[in-house]
Amino acid sequence: MDSTQFNVKILSLSDKLFRLAKSMLRNTEAAQDAVQDLSMKLWEKRKQLDEVENVPAFTMRAMRNLCLDTIRKQGDEDELPAEFEFVAPNPHQQAEQKDLAGRVRDMIDNLPELQRTIIRMRDVEGMEISEIAYITSIKENAVTVNLSRARQKIREKILYEQKYVEATIWKE
Amino acid sequence: MERINKLLDNYFKGESTLAEEAELKQYFATGTIAPEHTPYIALFQAFGQELQQQYAAPVTKMLPKQATGKRMGVRALFYSGIAASLVLAVWIQRPRQEEDYAVIRGRRIDNPEYAQRYAEKKLNDVNEMLQHRLKPLRDAETLKENLRNVGEGGNDKSQIIE
Repeated sequence: MDSTQFNVKILSLSDKLFRLAKSMLRNTEAAQDAVQDLSMKLWEKRKQLDEVENVPAFTMRAMRNLCLDTIRKQGDEDELPAEFEFVAPNPHQQAEQKDLAGRVRDMIDNLPELQRTIIRMRDVEGMEISEIAYITSIKENAVTVNLSRARQKIREKILYEQKYVEATIWKE
Repeated sequence: MERINKLLDNYFKGESTLAEEAELKQYFATGTIAPEHTPYIALFQAFGQELQQQYAAPVTKMLPKQATGKRMGVRALFYSGIAASLVLAVWIQRPRQEEDYAVIRGRRIDNPEYAQRYAEKKLNDVNEMLQHRLKPLRDAETLKENLRNVGEGGNDKSQIIE
């Protein structure tokens, strides 16, 4: 792979790679560093990239592995437990968070890593289940199950929050 | 409306196709949404907003590892050497536009974008390291200045007492 092909095939994926890294690491600067590190690593191994069938999926998979390494090195200290329960915001918090879409993004960020990665690959990036299965190294039916669980959790949180808001309004 | 309810059911079961999901996104973007579906507006808005996030490609900010003393000096020299050789390599090759390349760790790099990013990253490292390394010197200067002021102030005070 020469520099032109590299620019077209790899560097053009920067936005996608950045969003994946940001979703996994939940930190903009760390995500930017991850993109930089990965592009350098791939450039050094660009000859091997010629043998790869699906370069975008391979690159996304490499990014996920790199982020998983980073998370492991951090000792998972800021990773929320898998059974993390959503706590409804109080009215003060609600006033601070007027942006409902922003609240949904927070809800997604609070999902376990695999679920938030899958829901974003599907609903933000519009990837096929088979591609997601390859990138996350799990079976397609496991992707579907995790996707369904992630979406249902978000739905429960949205409906719960809406009920909370309505109840607060009625009390007032 | 039944169509949308069915699509939403499939969506939450994880069984919808990409085309069906596109239909849902389109529905929630139009503005004519049934009251029972309004809780999900924010969900689909959030996905749209996330897609707008872009990699800004800034000069890489590498967090320097904590190093002290001689090691830090050696590292500073090492990175300065790399940065200097990169600048030199790019400069030497400048007139022959078609054959521009840089040499990084003894390897020829033909990708100008990669070379530029690498150079920026290393120069940034050197800058951060020098800033970090010069800080004790600046602190020492400040301390010396403060001591001098205290000394002069002390004389003044003794003069007043006298």
